[in-house]
Amino acid sequence: MYTFGIDIGSTSSKAVILKDGKEIIAHQVISLGTGTIGPKEAKEQVFEEASISPEEISYTIVTGYGRMKCDYADEQISELSCHAKGIHYLLPTVRTVIDIGGQDAKALRIDDKGRLIQFQMNDKCAAGTGRFLDVMAKILNVDINDLGPLSEKSNHPASISNTCTVFAESEVISKLSSDIPLEDIAAGIHESVAKRVAGMALRIGKTPDVAMSGGVALNIGVVHAMEREMECPVLVHPLCQSAGAIGAAILAWEKFTKEKVR
Amino acid sequence: MADLKSNIAFLQEACKNPRARLDYYLKQGKKVVGCFPVYTPEELIHASGMIPMGLWGGQTQLKLAKSYLPPFACPIMQSNMELGLSGAYQGLSAVIIPVLCDTFRCMTQNWRFGVPSIPMIPIVYPQNRKSPASVDYLISEYENVLTMLTTITGKMMNEKALAETIAIYNEHNAVMREFAKVANDHLDIVTPQVRHTVMKSAFFYEKSEHTAIVREIVEELKKLPAYQFTGKKVILTGITCEPDELLNIFTENHMAVVGDDLAQEMRQYRTDTPEKGGGGLKRLALQWNSRHGCSLIYEEGKPRGKMLVNLCKENGAGGVVTCMMKFCDPEEYDQPYFEADLREAGYPYLTIEIDQQNTSYEQIRTRIQTFSEMI
Amino acid sequence: MIENGTTQVNAAAAPAQKPKRPKPKSMQMLNEQTTALFENARLAKERGEKVGWSASIFPQEIAETLGLNVLYPENHSAGIAARHQADPFLQECEGPLGYSNDLCAYAKVNLAYASVLNNESEVELPDGGKMVKPDFLLLTNNICNQLTKWYENLAYQMNIPIFFIDTCYNPCDYVTETRVRYVRAQIDQLIKDLCAFTGKTWDDKRFKEVMKISQRNSYLWERANNLMDHKPAPLSGFELFNYMSAMVCNRGKISSTAVLEQLNQEIEEHIKEGNSTYPVKEEYRISWDGIACWPYLRHNLHTLKQYGINMVASSYGKAWAIEYEDLDGMARAYCFASTNGDNATTMISRRMEALKKFDCEGTIYHVNRSCKVMDCQMMEVQRQISAQAGIPFTSFDGDQADYRNYSEAQFETRIQGLVEVMKQNKEAKMNG
Repeated sequence: MYTFGIDIGSTSSKAVILKDGKEIIAHQVISLGTGTIGPKEAKEQVFEEASISPEEISYTIVTGYGRMKCDYADEQISELSCHAKGIHYLLPTVRTVIDIGGQDAKALRIDDKGRLIQFQMNDKCAAGTGRFLDVMAKILNVDINDLGPLSEKSNHPASISNTCTVFAESEVISKLSSDIPLEDIAAGIHESVAKRVAGMALRIGKTPDVAMSGGVALNIGVVHAMEREMECPVLVHPLCQSAGAIGAAILAWEKFTKEKVR
Repeated sequence: MADLKSNIAFLQEACKNPRARLDYYLKQGKKVVGCFPVYTPEELIHASGMIPMGLWGGQTQLKLAKSYLPPFACPIMQSNMELGLSGAYQGLSAVIIPVLCDTFRCMTQNWRFGVPSIPMIPIVYPQNRKSPASVDYLISEYENVLTMLTTITGKMMNEKALAETIAIYNEHNAVMREFAKVANDHLDIVTPQVRHTVMKSAFFYEKSEHTAIVREIVEELKKLPAYQFTGKKVILTGITCEPDELLNIFTENHMAVVGDDLAQEMRQYRTDTPEKGGGGLKRLALQWNSRHGCSLIYEEGKPRGKMLVNLCKENGAGGVVTCMMKFCDPEEYDQPYFEADLREAGYPYLTIEIDQQNTSYEQIRTRIQTFSEMI
Repeated sequence: MIENGTTQVNAAAAPAQKPKRPKPKSMQMLNEQTTALFENARLAKERGEKVGWSASIFPQEIAETLGLNVLYPENHSAGIAARHQADPFLQECEGPLGYSNDLCAYAKVNLAYASVLNNESEVELPDGGKMVKPDFLLLTNNICNQLTKWYENLAYQMNIPIFFIDTCYNPCDYVTETRVRYVRAQIDQLIKDLCAFTGKTWDDKRFKEVMKISQRNSYLWERANNLMDHKPAPLSGFELFNYMSAMVCNRGKISSTAVLEQLNQEIEEHIKEGNSTYPVKEEYRISWDGIACWPYLRHNLHTLKQYGINMVASSYGKAWAIEYEDLDGMARAYCFASTNGDNATTMISRRMEALKKFDCEGTIYHVNRSCKVMDCQMMEVQRQISAQAGIPFTSFDGDQADYRNYSEAQFETRIQGLVEVMKQNKEAKMNG
């Protein structure tokens, strides 16, 4: 029995087809989000990969920023609930999830069944999100994907004290013109993000295991900075970006089987 | 049923267009005095034969207010300042500003110089209510308000009028409490938006007029069979929970509000003025002493959390939504303590940010939806 | 509202190479006094005596008369901020303790500090003045309302009593008699309750003594500040911020008399010799509005020094002009103290007086993110003062203790802008 989960984010679309609520038989990530052809492409490609047709899907759940505009889904569920389920599937021992996305940051506390118990969000301010890193990477003239490895070379992270992205920008520029090594500035930027996000995350407590998710989790510099701030190991699963879509597909199966039983 | 619908419609209209309510009273030749949040001695205005009208800001874009307040000032004060400076409050004879927090202190001065066409009457409530001397002090603050009202408007009150007014306000409190209770059996009709409308509209009516309308609403509701609401029930806490766009998100997610600890709503109606104990001013001062569980009133023991737990229990709520007014430091100091009490009692809670300059509700939508999936 | 001996700041801040000016004797005495304050509290606690924490403008005469050891959280937080030790406390407060970033940073640091003392948090307590856990709190709200909430929380957290004097903000230019009566009644009750709790007894003779000492210290403090009207000013103005700890934490003590007499003496020396502790030629005299931006004192001073700008006036010169002869007078004085007496007209007239007296050419407003009670009426006050005094002003975003609310680039740009206008005005004046 197949279920379909699709996560339509602001900058990317992720689609997952799940068999019997357990096995991922197809998985696609397109770097285009809501309002573009991204969601459509993700859907088409994931079905192609699975070699099944949409009629064979028992239940579809859509999540993410663009979930309201999806006309073929059976249900739409918030990305926090889907994410919780998805991470639990990928890393069953995890009880605290920290998701730093492009535009917001979230901390989730989940139980042993992947259900969401508590959450904390920062969705108004660019500081502590992928946006902050994008802005800083531009100033350093470094590709965003190279920021992590670069910062790992640092032994003396520079201090970026301002929490306002705009003011922090000017701090970074001033450090650049003072000839502070790029890797130290990069490390300082990661520390700044980690401090801010850890502060938010610690509000819901630090129940191990702790995992990171979202696009920024692929930045090794931020992950290590988070480990230092949280004072505990932070796990990252290679498929974490798709946790929302995976969780959506699992919730689809849970809902459908419950319906069938009823 | 027709009465019910049209009564609710009257109240909706009042909330949508408070200016029309101000003009309505002015046309009748009445004087209207603006009342800043949260606690103002409306009774003194009412007993003097004038109409008190609440000034709770509004969804406004700020332009003129930026010359008086920094960006990190309370949204309601920003809006009130903007509306005052732009002339939206023209027609008011005066405004009363209670000094309940640091920003209020400054507002008395900002208004004094910024909107001199509408005279400002300050009142500073006592915070050390354990001290018996606080009662006499508050009485003298009331007398100062009365003197200023008389000087500005020429209107005076007497003891008899004050006693009658106090009775009217107590009656109003009682009917509002009854409404809150009866509403929970009719959550199909009393959606979060309707509930809020009934609560907030009280600020735009002469109190006995509002009592009459709400009483009719309650009677009509009681005639209907109790509705079995199948969605999630929540308690709201904070300063305000509005505008309608936000309240409708609860409905979208099949959630109902079954009780509240909002400064704009039940905090106004849950404490009566004692019927005995002295003259009107003294009894009003005693009412102040009985107020309980509000962030703006000094109280030892941080009792708000327990109060919220009880509210959840009494009304069958599944959790609490903290409507955190942006930059509201008194509320921010209370938050960690009442959250701890809720955690201990096993009630989940959600925080949403309230900002009168906000134009997008997407983030709040996600949070409320997630919360509904959780509780 | 204030700070602590910032010796550690000077020590940490100055680069090793430059020869350091030897610390004046008054500063050494001040540091000894500060050390003694914390140490005496610690010893008292060991002896089983009750020790308190107090709001900075609580009538210190009461605790002093009763012989109680009292510490000052606001002052303590300022010291932590000045020594750049605030970060772990801010993180703890906004993280596990669940508080909003919006709150006053003195409170944020202290709430986290209290949490450590209460065994609820684990943050290493820095050197430079360790506070002991209090057995009681002394609270007034003449500075601001946030204090009432902050102390409400501390009392509940540590399960200790608060002795509270509600001083009621004055929207008028004077204190109403009704306020005086209310405050007096609270003072009378408080003294009774505090004696009952601590086992101390009230001694009227001792009270008269303490009043006398406090008046003398207020006089000396104002005198020292007033000597800045000389040209050039005999001190680098920021140094006066340091001495505020004597006024906040030890105003009723003879050790403060000694410090302030020494300070006055040193200032008179400078005037006699025609020199100053201000390191370069005084080009511009300005007034500073608001408390110091403690985490960035060094950057502030460095930037101002580049243009020869000396702070010769601040809003604190007259802050402790708390004169009275009896408890009624004390009630009235404390009701009008600090921002309680800062309705716009009073604020403006005080500043106008200072601008004239010290012949200031400009004003720098510290828009202190932690201090809404000052910031929310600042713009109107600025406008009126500027119109009346005809001198330029600038403002900058800072914070008294949260180091994350500041931009060096912004400060530098704004000061440069102010200098350009002051220069213009100076030249116009010279050219008639």
